[in-house]
Amino acid sequence: MHSSRISTWIVWTFFLMAILAGVAFFSLAVGAVDLPLRKAFFLLTKGRGTPEYTILFEVRLPRILLGFAVGGGLAISGVILQGMFRNPLVEPYTLGISGGAALGVCLNMVVGGPRGLGPLATPASGFLGAMGIVFMVYAISVRGKVIRLSRILLVGVMVSFMASSLIMLVMAVTRTEDLHGIIFWIMGSLEEPSAALIKTILFISLGGMILSFLFAVDLNALSLGEEEAFHLGIEVERVKKALLLIASLLTGCCVSVSGIIGFVGLVVPHLMRLLVGSDHRILLVASYISGAAFLILCDTLARVAIAPMELPVGVITGLVGGGVFIYALSRKGYSF
Amino acid sequence: MKVFCSCSWGQHSRLFFYKAMLLAFLLLFFSHAFSPPLKANDGQERSFDIPRLPQRIVSLVPTVTEELYLLGVGDKVVGVTVYCHRPPEAQTKEKVGTVVDVNIEKIIELRPDLVIASPLTDHKQTRKLRDIDVEVEIFYEAKDFQGLCENFLRLSQLVGAERKAEKIVEKAKRELEAVKKRIEGIAKSKVFVQIGANPLFTADGGSFFNDLIECAGGINIAGDAKTGIFSREEVIKRDPDIILIVTMGIVGQKEKEVWLRYKTINAVKNHRIFTLDSYRVCSPTPVSFVETVKELVEIFHAQQ
Repeated sequence: MHSSRISTWIVWTFFLMAILAGVAFFSLAVGAVDLPLRKAFFLLTKGRGTPEYTILFEVRLPRILLGFAVGGGLAISGVILQGMFRNPLVEPYTLGISGGAALGVCLNMVVGGPRGLGPLATPASGFLGAMGIVFMVYAISVRGKVIRLSRILLVGVMVSFMASSLIMLVMAVTRTEDLHGIIFWIMGSLEEPSAALIKTILFISLGGMILSFLFAVDLNALSLGEEEAFHLGIEVERVKKALLLIASLLTGCCVSVSGIIGFVGLVVPHLMRLLVGSDHRILLVASYISGAAFLILCDTLARVAIAPMELPVGVITGLVGGGVFIYALSRKGYSF
Repeated sequence: MKVFCSCSWGQHSRLFFYKAMLLAFLLLFFSHAFSPPLKANDGQERSFDIPRLPQRIVSLVPTVTEELYLLGVGDKVVGVTVYCHRPPEAQTKEKVGTVVDVNIEKIIELRPDLVIASPLTDHKQTRKLRDIDVEVEIFYEAKDFQGLCENFLRLSQLVGAERKAEKIVEKAKRELEAVKKRIEGIAKSKVFVQIGANPLFTADGGSFFNDLIECAGGINIAGDAKTGIFSREEVIKRDPDIILIVTMGIVGQKEKEVWLRYKTINAVKNHRIFTLDSYRVCSPTPVSFVETVKELVEIFHAQQ
């Protein structure tokens, strides 16, 4: 039984990876400009400096890499938080991370945030905002050394509301030139010119994946309930803290670079739980890969749907993700 | 097949699901992989002539597009935004996006040697273009006629048409002076300009609209406002003689009806609510600025 389960997992992993590779190639191949992939190899060796080379490797490829990092990162944050809180409605943004990041970015654009960072000022202020809010929520919810999960959730939701009210306040008094920058940031986009930043996010996202995989068994225990996990010999408080930290850091990094891209962290974990089951050892891996594939695919659709204009990627993640998920739910009795 | 049996989803439907997904994938993938390849070289000679003036210009600013045509280099424009309506010839050029959201791939494909952007263009996108060695010049919105002329002259230097630009500016200035002289001494009307509805949006003292109204012999009642958001109550209190609505077609008509409800406003009493063509008014060149001033003079001083 055990070995057959592992081989099932391996098959799933390879299957999802094949999909990811397919999506990545598809995304490389389509866009506002027609470029056949067959030419890619030729371009790679001889095409430096041609517009086609630039489009493929300096415009499309960075977006795919960022989509991979952000999609995967958000998906496993969702898995971790849903497993830990044992609540199907929790997603990476529930704890106020997105609200904090958005507030940080807004303030940076309107009053000017960390100086001397140049183009890195926006992601830096987003990250600071996200971490600030998470720390606040955490500090309010912790008593003694115990994190009360139900409380952290409520505080998080309230703080999110407060953050969005504050954002509206900032937007109401801001200049028109800054306003559209804020709106665009909030809508979320995988366009990011800085290659170094993309590499950093990739590194953090993959690191987060590996780290959280080390906690997969603890997550399995935690999803039975805190008391059960304790009796199974899990150091509940330490694990909760570590998982909360991983999930917040991952989400904070993703949000600060790409803006608020919704739905990935909510739908992908559920969909994967439907397909591969709720053992976190496979669920984390499967969610990471399919979250990456999902976001890359959605971004590609957003790029080509009304070219030369571009839709906000959140439009597609919401429509595609929600649709697929409702379909999947109706096909099978799914309980969290 | 055994590996899939551990899940409770019916094996049959699951297999079908896979096949369908696989098929969809292959279709999507190959439909693009086998499209005809691009021509290796479409014979576009790269001229490195001595005065390296831009030969392929992408304009992301409607005003700049119009100005390029004024300067006689319209044939060098290879890409515009979907809002570049003036002159009509500009609409035949390749569209690369809107003012705030452009398609980088399209721009790269056009191989421009100059891209003109505005501060409204997504900063990430301008940075990206500069990273891949495309020359990007950013033109800020002019705050008055003077700024408009300076922008125009700066643009003319970029494309090597200074002479022509100076002549155009000279002529525009002369005409503007003539208009100002003509309306000297005539009583000024209080004017409210509406640029947007919900929230009510107007032109504050720092916008070129303010200059436009003053040049045409009007007083902008929102001249002291810090931002464009303005309350209707304030409009009623300040009681403008004229209301100008700068929005397109149907919306303008609807807004006019809204104003008609406030019967105490002078402009309503005297039926002096007018709508303006936003394409021309909102993206002014030195030439169209003067044209608009003339039109406003007609409106402001028609009954006096």
